[in-house]
Amino acid sequence: MNHRILVLASALIGWSAIPLAGQARPKPYTAPRTPDGQPDLQGFWTNATYTPLERPKNVGKEFYTLEEAREIMKKAAVDEAEQTEPGTIPDVHYDFTQFGLDRSQGAMALNLRTSLIVDPPEGRLPPLSADGARRAAERTAARKSRGGPHDAVQNEPLGSRCILMDRNGPPMLGGAYNNTYQIMQAPGYVMILVEMLHDARIIPLDGRPQLPSNVRQWTGSSRGRWDGQTLVIETTNLTDKFAFMGASENMRLTERFTRLDEETLRYQFTVEDPSTWTRPWSAEVPWKKDKGPIFEHACHEGNYGLYNTLAGARAEEKRAAEEAAKKKPQK
Amino acid sequence: MRNRLGRACIVTVGLMVAAISAGGQSRPYRAPRTADGKPDFNGIWQALNEAHWDLEAHAAAPSPVLELGAAHAAAGGLSLIDGGTIPYTPAALKKKQENYANRLTLDPEIKCYLPGVPRANYMPYPFQIMQGPKYIMMIYTFAGAVRTIYMDEHKEAPADSWMGWSNGHWEGETLVVDTAGFNDQSWFDRAGNFHSDALHVVERYTAASPGHLLYEATIEDPNVFTRPWKISMPLYRRMEKNAQLMEFRCVEFVEELIYGHLRKKPGQ
Amino acid sequence: MRTRRAVAGLGIALLLAAAPAMAHHAFSAEFDISKPFKVRGMLTKWEMINPHSWFHLDVKDESGEVVAWMIEGGSPNQLIKNGVTKNTLAIGTELVIEGYQAKDGTNKGVGRNLLLADGRRLFLYSRETEK
Repeated sequence: MNHRILVLASALIGWSAIPLAGQARPKPYTAPRTPDGQPDLQGFWTNATYTPLERPKNVGKEFYTLEEAREIMKKAAVDEAEQTEPGTIPDVHYDFTQFGLDRSQGAMALNLRTSLIVDPPEGRLPPLSADGARRAAERTAARKSRGGPHDAVQNEPLGSRCILMDRNGPPMLGGAYNNTYQIMQAPGYVMILVEMLHDARIIPLDGRPQLPSNVRQWTGSSRGRWDGQTLVIETTNLTDKFAFMGASENMRLTERFTRLDEETLRYQFTVEDPSTWTRPWSAEVPWKKDKGPIFEHACHEGNYGLYNTLAGARAEEKRAAEEAAKKKPQK
Repeated sequence: MRNRLGRACIVTVGLMVAAISAGGQSRPYRAPRTADGKPDFNGIWQALNEAHWDLEAHAAAPSPVLELGAAHAAAGGLSLIDGGTIPYTPAALKKKQENYANRLTLDPEIKCYLPGVPRANYMPYPFQIMQGPKYIMMIYTFAGAVRTIYMDEHKEAPADSWMGWSNGHWEGETLVVDTAGFNDQSWFDRAGNFHSDALHVVERYTAASPGHLLYEATIEDPNVFTRPWKISMPLYRRMEKNAQLMEFRCVEFVEELIYGHLRKKPGQ
Repeated sequence: MRTRRAVAGLGIALLLAAAPAMAHHAFSAEFDISKPFKVRGMLTKWEMINPHSWFHLDVKDESGEVVAWMIEGGSPNQLIKNGVTKNTLAIGTELVIEGYQAKDGTNKGVGRNLLLADGRRLFLYSRETEK
């Protein structure tokens, strides 16, 4: 376990601590250009992070000091590598570290922020609007009326069904593993390949209109443009099946990518959805250069897990019914 | 004709006739170049034929699903194959016939599984090529399938996959893509034509006009075929203003089909 | 069976906790905590699929019969980035795997600990063992 702390600590020292907004920057970086004049964002990137979306309740400030951040990352790495207790729920899982999947074993950007949310300044989601609260209650009720989580495939989480993961969004947020992205640019387009679900977001830059409002897609309709050094992507036409953090289909998302240096992208996003939150909210995540390749993510094709979960639930019910039948008194 | 002028005329006419019979062009089409000097294949492309039903010549045939009537009947089509038919071994031909008879349960397309290569290129939906010096990406509508063509660093497939591992290089006007590292799960069409995990595909893409590419694929699999065989077809550029790929997240459409039998019955 | 902990939803990963709709499947729903197993067998196939790979083993049971097991492991993607290929783990390699069996009672399980016959941990991946 000690070697992992050493590895992480030395990586932290080695990283040039490019701080995000709120701290003095050495000198402005200008990204090289693609042949058609776009700032070059290309390469493999990871948004792996230990920073939570919302500021922990016991933290009252926007930034940790470098020492505090290092301590937190060390502790997080130790937690990831920690032994599980046999016979407990966490033990019923393959060992992440054996496959190199825990975040401390991969690239990760240094982030001194105490939360990914930067606005509201408290670093927490704004309150739900009346509509938002009502819809949240309706969704909870609808979920309950569908029965147990393993009664039918449609009751399972979207990730288990290989339909959508938080890595895809949009917005694109990291998870426990497989947080790799590939950005490629060609004249008039940016492509963001999300490793999870082999999702290639193709963003046209030619100013064409969004899809018509009756066309709703899981990942919406995205249009991009350059604002100086920053790629701005606007997304609309979402469905209510996605419901990012409880959002409605009316959610409008603006994502921004700026290259801060050779190894770092700043990814910011703003969520506007008056039918869910009383005001827009924004977050910021550093993305770190990662290595490829991105291997095919044939999630649905290889989804033994979903089958096993449903079959297992039915097998357990059958066993329980047989036990109950045995206990019935003979007539 | 006895004089030189006369002979020159005949020669000139002869050359013109030869040129016209060679397709009306006196030299092959030269595509515009990308910034790194390669033929530019960026764009949205789509095959326009009946290969997705059956690569071999076939007559129209009814749908195995009664309720879909003519909407899912197979349209007849000519062969896309040099030599006409696929050179199966006798044992493999039996398997192909079983596949066809059971295509409703066996065709991986029905379950929204990744289409494999070369089937992805002639599914009846558009795909987009994004071209760079290190990578050429092919992004397909069907199931959002993606192929990465590695242009500079050529490696062997680290593991088997549905879409294979593709290494590409340029030969003049032609993009040559060499793909291996397939699993044995995909089909070539809806007629049950199949392969093993020894599949090896070499594709050639050549721009033939501003509006189309000529596409050829040589398919090799010693476990299934007696020799390599080749298909060829045009791939047409989608010319509409604002042409784009639409989402086709078909997993949602097939969940009931695949997992419906595992639903909890009422009263359990 | 003391071994290392997976991350999902434990303390640090508040992102996952904040978006439960996106979580990948709960392993405790697929595998039975009351059915731990330990098998020793020969690898017949390693399905290197993303996001979960599967190790197929031929295991001799008590009566000497050979029984096929399939055991779930992690995504091979990070391993592939670090040079592991399908040739790294040879077919026929003897593996000792401890884990929990599938709830549907079939010979499937999740591999909590994957060991080689000599007791070394398979793929113990870290920058140190990369050398």
